This record gives sequence, C-alpha cells and structure tokens, in this order.
Amino acid sequence: MAHPPQNAVPPRSLEPGSKGLGPLGHLGQGGAQDRLPFRLVLRLLGRCLQWLRPLRRHLIALFAGFGLVAVMLFPIGLLLLDLIWTRVLQGEPLPLEQAQLLGLDPTIVTHVELLAPTVRRDLLESALLVVLAATAIVTPLVLGLYYYQVWILQRVNQLLRVRLLDQLQRLSMRFHSDHSIGDAIYRMMQDSAMVTQLVELLFLTPISTLGRYIFGILIVATFDPMMALLLGLLWPPLLVLGYWFSQRLRVGFREARETNAALTSRIQETLVGIKVIKAYGAERRWQDVFEDASHTAFDAAYRSRSRLAVFTVSLFWVCGIWLIASGAFAAIRSAESAPLMLEALGFSIWTLGLYNFFKLRFSDGAGQLRLLFKTWGRTQDVAIGLDRIFELLDLEPEVQDEPDAVPLESIGKGIVYRNVRFRYQADRPALEGVDFEASVGTMTAIVGPTGSGKTTLMALLLRLFDPDSGTIEIGGQDLRHFQTASVRDAVAVALQENLLFGTTVRENIRYAMPDASDAAVREAARVAGADEFIAKLPNGYDTMLGERGTKLSTGQRQRLSIARAILKDTPILILDEPTASLDAETEIRVLRNLAEWGRGRLIFLITHRLSSIRRADTILVLRDGQIVERGTHEELTDRAEGVYSSLFRHESQPGHAVGARP
Amino acid sequence: MSPVGQEKILGNFETLRVLGRAFRYAAPFRRRFAIKYLLSLGALLPLFITPWPVKIIVDHVIEARPVLPANYPAFLRPFTEALSGLPPNEILLWMIVLQAALLVLVGAVGTGGGERDRAESHLAGGHDQASRTENEANEGWSLASGLFGLIDFRFTIQLTQALNHHYRSRLFERIQALPMAVFDDERIGDAVFRVMYDTPAITHGVYRIILTPFTGAAFALATVGVIFLLFGDQPIFWQAALGMLAISLVVSLPFTGILRRRSRASREAGASTTSSLEEGLSNILAVQSLGAEDREQDRFGNDSWSAFANHRAVMVVGMGIFFFALLPGMWLGTKVFLYGADMVIAGAISRGDFILLFTYFLYLLFTCIDLGTLWIRLQESAVGLHRVFFLMDLPTEEEAPGTPELPQAVERVEIRNAHYAYPDGTPALRGVNLDLERGEIVALVGPAGAGKTTLAGLIPRFHDPDEGRVLFDGADARNFTRTSIREQVAFVFQETVLFDASVEENIRLGRPDASDADVRRAAVRAGADEFIRELPQAYRTRLGRGGGKLSVGQKQRIGIARALVRTSPILILDEPTSALDPETERALVETMEEARRERSVLVIAHRLSTIRHADRIAFVDEGQILEIGSHADLMARPDGAYRRFVELQTVGAA
Repeated sequence: MAHPPQNAVPPRSLEPGSKGLGPLGHLGQGGAQDRLPFRLVLRLLGRCLQWLRPLRRHLIALFAGFGLVAVMLFPIGLLLLDLIWTRVLQGEPLPLEQAQLLGLDPTIVTHVELLAPTVRRDLLESALLVVLAATAIVTPLVLGLYYYQVWILQRVNQLLRVRLLDQLQRLSMRFHSDHSIGDAIYRMMQDSAMVTQLVELLFLTPISTLGRYIFGILIVATFDPMMALLLGLLWPPLLVLGYWFSQRLRVGFREARETNAALTSRIQETLVGIKVIKAYGAERRWQDVFEDASHTAFDAAYRSRSRLAVFTVSLFWVCGIWLIASGAFAAIRSAESAPLMLEALGFSIWTLGLYNFFKLRFSDGAGQLRLLFKTWGRTQDVAIGLDRIFELLDLEPEVQDEPDAVPLESIGKGIVYRNVRFRYQADRPALEGVDFEASVGTMTAIVGPTGSGKTTLMALLLRLFDPDSGTIEIGGQDLRHFQTASVRDAVAVALQENLLFGTTVRENIRYAMPDASDAAVREAARVAGADEFIAKLPNGYDTMLGERGTKLSTGQRQRLSIARAILKDTPILILDEPTASLDAETEIRVLRNLAEWGRGRLIFLITHRLSSIRRADTILVLRDGQIVERGTHEELTDRAEGVYSSLFRHESQPGHAVGARP
Repeated sequence: MSPVGQEKILGNFETLRVLGRAFRYAAPFRRRFAIKYLLSLGALLPLFITPWPVKIIVDHVIEARPVLPANYPAFLRPFTEALSGLPPNEILLWMIVLQAALLVLVGAVGTGGGERDRAESHLAGGHDQASRTENEANEGWSLASGLFGLIDFRFTIQLTQALNHHYRSRLFERIQALPMAVFDDERIGDAVFRVMYDTPAITHGVYRIILTPFTGAAFALATVGVIFLLFGDQPIFWQAALGMLAISLVVSLPFTGILRRRSRASREAGASTTSSLEEGLSNILAVQSLGAEDREQDRFGNDSWSAFANHRAVMVVGMGIFFFALLPGMWLGTKVFLYGADMVIAGAISRGDFILLFTYFLYLLFTCIDLGTLWIRLQESAVGLHRVFFLMDLPTEEEAPGTPELPQAVERVEIRNAHYAYPDGTPALRGVNLDLERGEIVALVGPAGAGKTTLAGLIPRFHDPDEGRVLFDGADARNFTRTSIREQVAFVFQETVLFDASVEENIRLGRPDASDADVRRAAVRAGADEFIRELPQAYRTRLGRGGGKLSVGQKQRIGIARALVRTSPILILDEPTSALDPETERALVETMEEARRERSVLVIAHRLSTIRHADRIAFVDEGQILEIGSHADLMARPDGAYRRFVELQTVGAA
C-alpha cells in the first residue's frame, strides 16, 4: 500500500533519515523501536519553544512577578533564618547593624556574651509575627501568579491544539481514510498537553536543581574540599544510569502512548459501528477486542512506568552510597574535632552542629542532582508525546496553495478536465485520462458502475486531492493557480454520505454560511424539498439533531444536505447521489426546483437514477476511470451496444417491464 | 430525548451513595487491598528505623558516649546490647552496614528530605482533565523506596490497572448493551471520555476511601508514639495536629458543593471537547468540501478553551481552600515552634533534637491535613464516578436471566398492531400489521420518513413496539432473548459501516465461523468479489477507518455480502440498492430471488426495478401501511397511493 512518490517521504526538518515517517507516510508506526536518539531529545524540546513564542510577553511578566516575590522574600528570609537559627536558638548576640536595622537596643542584644532567655523569646515572637504577616501578604500574590502561569500554559496548549486541528483539516482525504480518529483524539488531548511542561523541564527544573547542586558543592567546599569533590563527582554515575535508561524509557513511553491511542480508536470505532455489531450479535467479540486493547495499553503503561520507577530507585541507590560515605566521613571528623581548612560560617572545627549542617547541605545538593535526573526520566515521556505532535505537524499537506495563488473571482465559461489521471494507491488507478468540458448554465450527469471514479472526479474539482497528471481548468486557468479556499467557496456539494452535526436544523443548513438569514435558510430548504418535513418537526428549524436530538430518516438528511449546498449560493453545484434515498415524488420536486435554481450555474449530478439523469444536458459515462461514452440521453440510448443503453435498458422501458411482470 | 447529559447534580447524600457504591465495586479486589494495606504499613516502618543509626552515630561515635542499652526502647535492647562496649570506629562501621542495608531494602539512609526516597512513576500531565487522568489510571506508589519500595510500587500499579481495566470493561460492556435508540443520539466523544477518563476516578476514590484513612491514622499514631519515645509526653504536638485536622475540615466543607459543580463542569467540558473533535474528524469530508474548516476550528477552539477554563476553576477552588486553611494552620505551627524553641532556650533539648521533633511534627501535621481534606478531595472522584455510574445505570437490553432462546428457524413473522414513538415523542408507527413468511419477498415502499426503517427494526428487536406485538411462529418476540432473535436476522443498513480490519473479517462479521469459500461466495453474490480481488491484498486488504478506501457503492456491497454470509432465515435489506448502478442492482435482485429459497426477505426500496420482484408490496406513509398487495393488485387500484408512486417514477423516466 505504498503511496505515490511525491508525498511518500514528508520532509521533516529534524533528522529526516532516522526518524522520518518511512515510505508509507503513516503515523504511529514506530512500534517499540526508539526513533529519538539521546542527543535529539533536547533539540526536539528546543524546537517546541516556538510554541511558547506567542505567549512570551506573558511569560516574561510571569517570571518578573516571581522574581519580584523572590526579591521581596529573600532578604526577609535570610534575616529570619539568621534571627531564629543563630540568635534565638543559639543565643549569639546580634551584630550592631542588625540591631539598628531592627530598632533593638544594642545594649541588650549586641553588647552581651549571650542573649538572655527573655530576649531570645521576644525576638522569636516578633520574628514569627513577621513570618505570619509576610505569608498573609505574599500568599495571595503567589497564588495569583500560579493561576497566571496555568493560564499561560493552557493558552500554549490551546494554540497547539488548534494548530493540530488546522493541520488535520489540511491533510487530504488520502490521509484521513488511513488514519483513525481515536489516534487523532489521543494526539490532541494527551500528546499536546506535554507542551505545558516545557517551561518547567527546560528552564525551571535545570536552573533550580543545578543551581542548588552547585551551591551545595560550594558550601561543602568551605568545610572540606575533598567532600566537595565527592559531591561534585556524583553526576558521572548518575549520567551513566541516565544514559542506560533513557533509551529504554523512550521505547516504553512510545509504546504506552501508541497502545493507549489504539485503545481510544477501538472505543471510537466500536461506537461508530455499534448498530452493525448489535444487529449481528457481535457484542461479545467486540468486548474481547476491547479488553485485549485495554490489556495491551495497561501492560505497556506498566512496563514503561516500572522502568521509570526502577530508574529513580537506582538513582537513590547511587546517591545513598554518597550520603553514607559523606556521613561517615563527617562523623569521624566531628569525633576528632578536626580543624576546618577555612574558617567558615562561624565554624572553625568539626562539631556536632557542623556535622548536622554539613549533612543537610550535602544531602540537599545530592538530592537536587537526583531530582534533575529523575526529571530527565520523566522528560523522555514528554519528548515522546511532543514527537508524536511533530509527526503530525510535519506531514506535508498534499494540497497546498502555490505561493502566488490568487483568489478565484469568476468561473468564466466553465470547467475543463484535460487528461486527468489520479490514483489513491500505486496499484489502484482511480482515473485514467479523463477529458471533458462543462459550461455554465448546463447540467452534467456523471454515471457509471460503482467504483468507476465518479466521486473522485468531483473530489479533484474541490481540490480534496490534486491530480497526479493532467490539469483541471476553471475559467481557462489551472485550478492550482487559485487559492484552495476560494475554489471551495465557489463550489457547493451535497454529499452521498449525509453528514449532519449535533446542532439545530437551522445551524446544519447554514453550516457553511453561518451568516445566512433565516429567510435564505427557508428558501434553501424549499428548493431542497425539505421545508415540509422541517415544519413538522417538534421545534421546526430549531429542532436539535443528533446529539440529544431528533432522528431523521436518510432521505430527510439527504435533503438537509442539499439545502446546505444550495444556501452556499455558489456558481458550481455538485450533487453526489443526492436523491438516492428519496421517493420518486420528492425526487421530481427537488430536481424541478434545482433546475430552476440552477439557471446560470454549473451543475454536476452523480446518480444512478434514470429519472434524474434524463434532465442532464450532457451525460458522461464513466467506467474503470475512463469516460467511455458521452452525449445526451437520446444520443446514448440510440447506441444499441453502448454501455449506457445496456446499463439502463431495464429502467428505460419501465412501462413494458412493469406491465410484463405478472 | 436521550438521557445522556441529564445527570442530576450530586448532593452530599448522593455523593456518599456513589462512593459507597464504588467501595462495593472494589469488593472483588479486597484481598489485594488488604495486601496493599499491609505493604503501606510496612513502608512506614523505615521512617521509624532510619533515625536510630543517625542518633547512634551522633551519641556514640561523635560524642563517644558509651552505649547504655537501658536508655533505648525495649525493642532495640538486643541490638544496642550487641553494640555496647564496642569502640566508636566499630560502631560507626556497623552503622554504615546497617545504613547500607536500609538503603538497598527501603531506600532511606536518614530522616531528612534528601536522605529518603519514595518509589513512584508519576508522569507529567498538562493543565486539563484528560491528561491529568492518564496518571490516575496508572497510579503506582510506595512510601518507601529500594527493593521493598519497588515491590510495593509494582503491586500497587498492578492493582490500580486491574481495577481500572475491570471498570472500563464493565462500562464498555454496558454501553454495548444499551438499546439501539440511545445510539442514534449518542455523542461518541462523550462515551470515549467516560470510558477513558472518567473510570479512573473509581480507583482514585477507592484508594482514598480505603487507604488514606487507615494508613493516615496508623502513620499519625506511630508518629505520636515516636515523639513519645524520643521526647517523652508532649501533648502539644498531637493536640496541634488534631487542631489542624479540625481546621482543614471546617475550612474545606463550605467548598464541597462548589467543588462538585466545578469539577463536574470540568469533566463535561472535557467530554464536549472530545465530542466536537470526534464529530469534526468524522465529518472531515463534509468540512473540507464545504470549506468549513474555520468554522470547525472555532467550534473546537471554543470547546477546548472552555474545558481549560473549567479545569482552572477547579484549581481556584483548591487555592481558596489552601489560602483559608493556611493562616490558622501557620498560627498553630507557630505555637508549636515557640514551644519547641522554649525547650531549646531552656536547654531541655538540643537544636538537632528540635529539628527532628519539628520534622516529626510536620509529618503528623500533613497526615492530619490529608485526613481533614479527605472528604473534599473525594468530591472530584465522586463526580467522575457519577458520570460512570450514570451510563452504567441506563436501562440496557439485557434480559432477565433464564429468558429462553428463540428455538427454531423462524417460518413466519407477524407484526400485530404495532405502535412506536421515537424517544422525543414523535410517533413513528401507528398500528402496523404485517406478515412475512419463509420464501417470500416483501417490499416496503413509501416516502422518506414514513417509518419504513423503524418498522423493519421491530423484527430484530432493535426496538420493541410501545403497543402491539411481534410474533415469531405465533410466539411473542419479547419472550425470547434478543441475541437469539438477531441470530436469525441478517440486516443490511442504509449506510454501511466497515471496521478497521480486513475485507474478509468485515464480511465474516456476519458469521464468525464462515469458511473462506463461504466468504467468497457471499461476496460473489453481493457483486463485491470482482472489485475485492482488484484490491492490493484482495480479501486480506485492510480497510482503513470506516473503509475510507472504498466508494460508497463498494461499501454497500460488502455490507450485503456480510448479510448473505449469515445463514439466517430472515434477510432485511434497507435500501440496499440506492447507491448501486443498475447493473449491480440487477445482480442483487437475482441474489434476492435466490436467497428467498431458504429465507424470508424484507426489502425497503424506492426503485421500481427492485420492488417489482416482491411477492407483496406494503406502501407505508406516516407510520401506517396504507396498501398491501402484489404489484398487479396495487396497480389495479385507480387512486392507489402505490400506483401514484409508480406512475411518478415511470413518468419521470419515460
């Protein structure tokens, strides 16, 4: 099932060879192999930064806000720490400047050997009051900033979601017929959410953890350079662990995401086909299929998450060795009351206090580094999610506007197909050299056996696909010279498969023309022969359809679909078997209305109904992707051996056939 | 009207009921919960062991005081006796060995934040309901790390997943058992959301109900015990912790209703987003053809942003609770801090002891906050649970156990005075009588919306008549299971649904045990064989989503093959020929003629060429059969509705 070469390997700006989509242009076929080498993870994440750009002003404001809070709190925090720790708990006198700053009497707090218990107590109480007051003031500010942060990140996610939908809508039907909706849902809802983690993973966590790790090393260095060296050498073993695990983690996370997407597809597909499943009593089998998919998804999630857990536990094992070693070292030094190399932070020899302080600094530094690596493990999943987003975004839409495309102003005299060839898949030609002309003011019927290429012929006019070779001209110009959107604006289609949306009848009719007036909606419904049954609905035009709404028969839906096309008021109208489910009476009425409405327009009619075909000015008979006959009804029926006359021999002699049957 | 989306707002009482029900649903897993409970308790132990090596190092290595076993709690006596008399260096060595063992086994070397670890595998989620839930569905954790933590973690994640799989499967089963009429209106995206993202609320809720209170209480008691052991009777700590429990309860309770409404709105908005996405993608052909991409993007964008906003609203409620509990909590904490500081100032305890004591107090405090906010945190679970149970509780087609199967191959179907109204109250059938015998072809004819499909749907019991009966060989259809009735019916729908499977498998849906030859024969008879063989892998070609690679007519023929492969006595064709070209239609009519030999055939059609082969033709309009008889009989009625119908068609053609 290879696709034609021109869209076989979609260009991907990132490492097209190793992680491209392969010759099929399919999504989600990575299976269990890792297509995202170690070094590319960061580049991938970096590439995602473009999505933060629209919100950069907000991000700057946010960081400024957090910075302001930090600037406010940091000195207060330092002062409080010193007050509580050194002055209150240890009873050491305050420096003169500090006493002056706090407006305290230096004779009591500075010029003494040790602070008196009552003074310490007073100091503590006022310090705690400051803490309470600062909390009361700062907390709402911090909460507000957090709310702002969530808003920004959601905004980023929202923009990405909309962009993904835009991309999905640009991709041709060739893509959509091969890809499941469930997978797209998963990409939109789950994979895209990973974008909200970028700021934290790329900036906040590395900066804060590395900062505190280095700070820890520096503090430890003031006590003992050897220990600082030990702490400084914690990263190589962690890096080895990280290197060994990260590829395995990525394989697992990709598998988990793919199997969960497949499960979503299973559910969606079953619900779409539930009527058939129930009619054929296949519920049990579908239940089994669902449970299998659910098992597979849970198993994949289990494997990947277990791997992550083993990784983080291993990280601690390594850190634990460092902690035990440094603790033992500090214990020995303290037991010996060994002198410090430098006199730092008021310590000159190893004491119990220093032992505690040292252990705290050392374990905090090690813990920060461990957190960084743990985050790295989690980042693998984020990267896989984002890679799945890029997979979709990097697909080159098959139909794209030329850079110099102009809007279609007028369709001129009509439409010309010149030697148009098209195939969906390499070995399945759909159209093999089609030539015809259709002029404004005429109705062209396209007939032929099922699967002969009728619908494809019209899809090319809408630029749902572009022909592999040959051209379609509109008003004497190649279709590709015009902006796709303007071409689609010039064409209205009533489709074979009647697609309605879960909203009111009125909204369904003006789906493509949201601004149409009620009168216009009514007129379109009248032409489509839908006004009568709509009037009988519980709430007329305001009746809800589909979702929690009223059920319509196929024939009724067909007429709404026609009304929708008519309302678009375009120079070209395509009716793809629009009347197949209509009874003869309605059909005749609808066609008569259409003929009248269609004066001065160009109408294509795909149908099997002789009663409809006869009204056409030209009939094109399509067989195996080629036009085998063309002409008016009379001309074609005159050819005794013709495809057309043999196709319609039965129906063209209705009087006889009807009478002949006993 | 479809009942979906009309759930009641939960009150406190219903919340309790919903939670109680979740609890009962977890009953089959009670042994595994008991084990998880024991594992959780086991994971708490290291917390109480790890302080001792540190204390021993401080007291007997650094300060080099002799080990006096009498100063230690009874359970440590044998251990401390072994240490007593050893030189500090050897004590240190043994402590290193002990710490190393603790490191490997439970992943903790001390009490500080950086000195212990917890096994877990929480992944990043976004700021929306759906991505947050992915974690809940695969939640695994242990309060310990190391080998024990890994075992505990794996056990937990397996339990979580088993529970979720169980609930998902049960919900899916119930969805499949819903009556056909529900699916006419059902939003697929909503159901996807419920199965994927609402079911994990069950696990979450159950864990909160079963584990949090007990492990929390056990932990709190143990902490109080350790404080007592280390520092003697210090009632202020547990009093303050209890005070915090009260504060978090009092502060959070007024938010209960708000949180419930907000989190319900959040889930609903998430489900609508999924729905509008699913709908837009299902209809992508229409969207592209009609140039409605921008419109779809607006629609999805609005839904999506409203889901984000609702999720944010839930977060704001949480922030509110946090803020209002923070100040009284800090005041309490300050009191305790002052108390401890006084002890340091008075020289009763060292600064190190103070840190240890305060750390334990914080453990106790957070446990009490956990317990105090249990109820409020359960609200979010309850809302998810409610959405799951709501769908589970819709009346399904399930029959009372012991309902007999339709025993014999049906010879005769009779519909007697059947009335039926759509769920929205519009009457669809108004007193219909129709017979269908083996070997007979009956055609239903009439304008669109007349009720033909509804009438045909009575036979396989897609819906039961509101009034009147359907009889199989004289016995009321309601006496038999739907499955056994549907086994006897092959139904070809107006719009063919194909599944993402091979052509072969799609046909075989009609009869799973059909041989390759059977499948091929059915395809030949449905006029599908020719084009199927032209497909890249013929019968094994995998059809993409919805059979997107085939034309509508080709899909229809596969649908017909699916029905023909089923050797059932009743064949119902709902406009089988509407998308077929005349040639294929003729072939199909022949097939129908052939099929009638061993079956009854009911066909809904507009085309004269199909209809005129029927033995009897029923003209349906406005839910009633106006005329019934052979083509000749009906044509003989000068003012007959059927005659007018035929004339319009032939006049149109002639």
